[in-house]
Amino acid sequence: MKHRALWSALMVAALAVAGCGSATRTGSPSGDSQRKLVVWDWKSGEPAAAAYVEKAKADFAQRHPGVTVEFVAQPYDQYYTLLGTASQSDKAPDVMLFNGGGQIRDRAGTLLPLDRYVAEDRSRLAGWEAFSEDGKVYAAPVTLQGHPIYYNKTLYEAAGLDPADPPKTWNEFVSGCAAIKKTTGAACFALGNKEGFGIQFFLSGLGSGILTPREYDDWIAGKRDWTSPHVRRIFELWKDAGDKGLNNRGANSTAMFTDIFTVFETGKAAHIIGLMSDIGHWKDFGEFLPPEKIGVMRAPVVTDGATPSLPYDGGIGYAVAKGTKDPALAADLVRALTSTDALTAFYAEAGAITSDTTIDVSRAGPAATAIASEIRTGRPALHVALSSKTLDLMGRLSQQLLSGSATVDEAVEQLAASDRTG
Amino acid sequence: MKRRARTAAGTVRAERLAPYVLVAPAVLIIVALRLWPLALGVNFSFTGDGEFNGTFVGPGNYLELAGDPLFHLSLRNVGLLVLLLPLAVAIPGLLATFIYLRVPGHRVYRSVYFFPAVLSPVIVGAIFNLMLGYEGPLNSALAAIGAGPVDWLGDPGIAMFTVVGVHIWATFGMALVVFLAGFSTLDASLLDAARVDGASLRRTIWHVIIPSLTRTIQFVFVTTMIGMLTSMFGLLFVMTSGGPEGSTYLPEYYIWHQQGQMNRPALASAASTVLFVVMLVVGLLQITLLRRAGRQD
Repeated sequence: MKHRALWSALMVAALAVAGCGSATRTGSPSGDSQRKLVVWDWKSGEPAAAAYVEKAKADFAQRHPGVTVEFVAQPYDQYYTLLGTASQSDKAPDVMLFNGGGQIRDRAGTLLPLDRYVAEDRSRLAGWEAFSEDGKVYAAPVTLQGHPIYYNKTLYEAAGLDPADPPKTWNEFVSGCAAIKKTTGAACFALGNKEGFGIQFFLSGLGSGILTPREYDDWIAGKRDWTSPHVRRIFELWKDAGDKGLNNRGANSTAMFTDIFTVFETGKAAHIIGLMSDIGHWKDFGEFLPPEKIGVMRAPVVTDGATPSLPYDGGIGYAVAKGTKDPALAADLVRALTSTDALTAFYAEAGAITSDTTIDVSRAGPAATAIASEIRTGRPALHVALSSKTLDLMGRLSQQLLSGSATVDEAVEQLAASDRTG
Repeated sequence: MKRRARTAAGTVRAERLAPYVLVAPAVLIIVALRLWPLALGVNFSFTGDGEFNGTFVGPGNYLELAGDPLFHLSLRNVGLLVLLLPLAVAIPGLLATFIYLRVPGHRVYRSVYFFPAVLSPVIVGAIFNLMLGYEGPLNSALAAIGAGPVDWLGDPGIAMFTVVGVHIWATFGMALVVFLAGFSTLDASLLDAARVDGASLRRTIWHVIIPSLTRTIQFVFVTTMIGMLTSMFGLLFVMTSGGPEGSTYLPEYYIWHQQGQMNRPALASAASTVLFVVMLVVGLLQITLLRRAGRQD
């Protein structure tokens, strides 16, 4: 009787757990023939990307008639889970889309170095660093992703500020915000930190005005000095902004995607550290705010000697699996997906700042033009240099800083420890 | 004579083998599709992630779990769920009692109460995200009566209770139906006797209804516990993403996060194995409980 009970309990527990995410290796090779390439992404299913995909497909078909290309659009929420499981079981697609930064670096071991295939595209496209690891390139950038500070010119006018001359220092910025709050009631920052992403945008959006150029370069190069007073200052400002009521209320329960963008679009906040591509950018905001009323400003200077610049990296890019049968063929598809023609279609339809610096964006309005003019002097975003583990920790710590359950010193100390171990 | 003996022996052997042959398909399916993958998963939990993919790392992942405050938090939250269980059982029990006692409008309530049970957790989560937003209708209502706004999903001390509350709201309909079924077996003469003796409602519930419904209550306890431990993922995913400050992490969410977001499948396997052991203990306790209930009859 005892035994039976034990066995049935074992069964109950086994049934409950067997489905829970324990990936295993089965070691069967990918079954794709050379005549067919499978592409995984989360973009090709969107109507806005249809023209882009068509252009790239046509371009590739011209060079390689007889090769079928199958685009499989995966849901973004589950993309990396599915991809991780597929490559664990050696069922990875030939070509796949990646976000720049941690996601691709963590998986560089499963990808093909593309350096010899994309040499010709190196100068035409920007944003390669986000897809590189140890000096090798693993994906060709399609869009650029970065964190411009957008501001609402209508609110500036209402508060008697000059919308053509946004504040240049932190003190000017804060006093401007006070004026806006007084006359319009709007918050200074639209901040959504439910997922813990708000701090990433804050760190990168304002970092170039806080760190000295030397510290900035060291940070990107991996020599991060967490004991520097300027690094500490970033988290101090984050906490201050919360304590002094610069953010919209309930920041820790407002989602970055996409509730917070609505707060900015509806004029409830004067500034937002947004994105350049995909979502939460000049074209998105333009649907609710008149495009000429959306401004883009540089990070206000907090530290003397800091030189504000646009923080951006390669946003999304196509990579090739190490195990693909014909690497040159797959790499050629990646080149077709990053041709000027294809990327022009992408910029126009989907509203993205693409990696191709030869495309003219002046027709997209003043905000897009302002962003494009900063590409040349822009530098990689600070948060992209951190590992996904440290970013995850930073998200939780940032919520603790806002709620007051952690001090700045504790937060910086924990982040330093996490950053050291990778 | 000899031949007959041989056939008899054959029949005996066939009879002895028959049960094994008959259960073989079921056993094979369970072994191949459940136990074998489970063993693979446990085995995988002793290997490394990233550059150590496929290499044996001993109990490394388990040691990492033991030192991860986020995993501790997720296990503590399981404990919290168990503590909140009586509440999750009492609510449908009490409402079913009212329906059984025919409070005015009980017919309407019966269908209204069951309604949320047919909604998917994602939809329930989205609805309550709107309702409980900082600038949402609930806080506006609170402001109208002069109470301060509450950050239902943004305050680490409140968020877990909010999500559990929503989970109970979304699932109590099923337990309510079970209770109503239990009531149909209740001896009405006992209730009449209590009424004749002038017992108050509270005394009727305590001395008549609860003792008569022991088995139903135990059954609801077990099913509600399983529901809480295995099906909160959807709500957490939509409502809090494990936040704020990691305060709404449960082991399931932790496993998903490590596997899908942090690219740590082996660590996720180790966490799955720990969850498996927790479920084993819970399963054993439940079986003991149910057996004891069975013995009472």
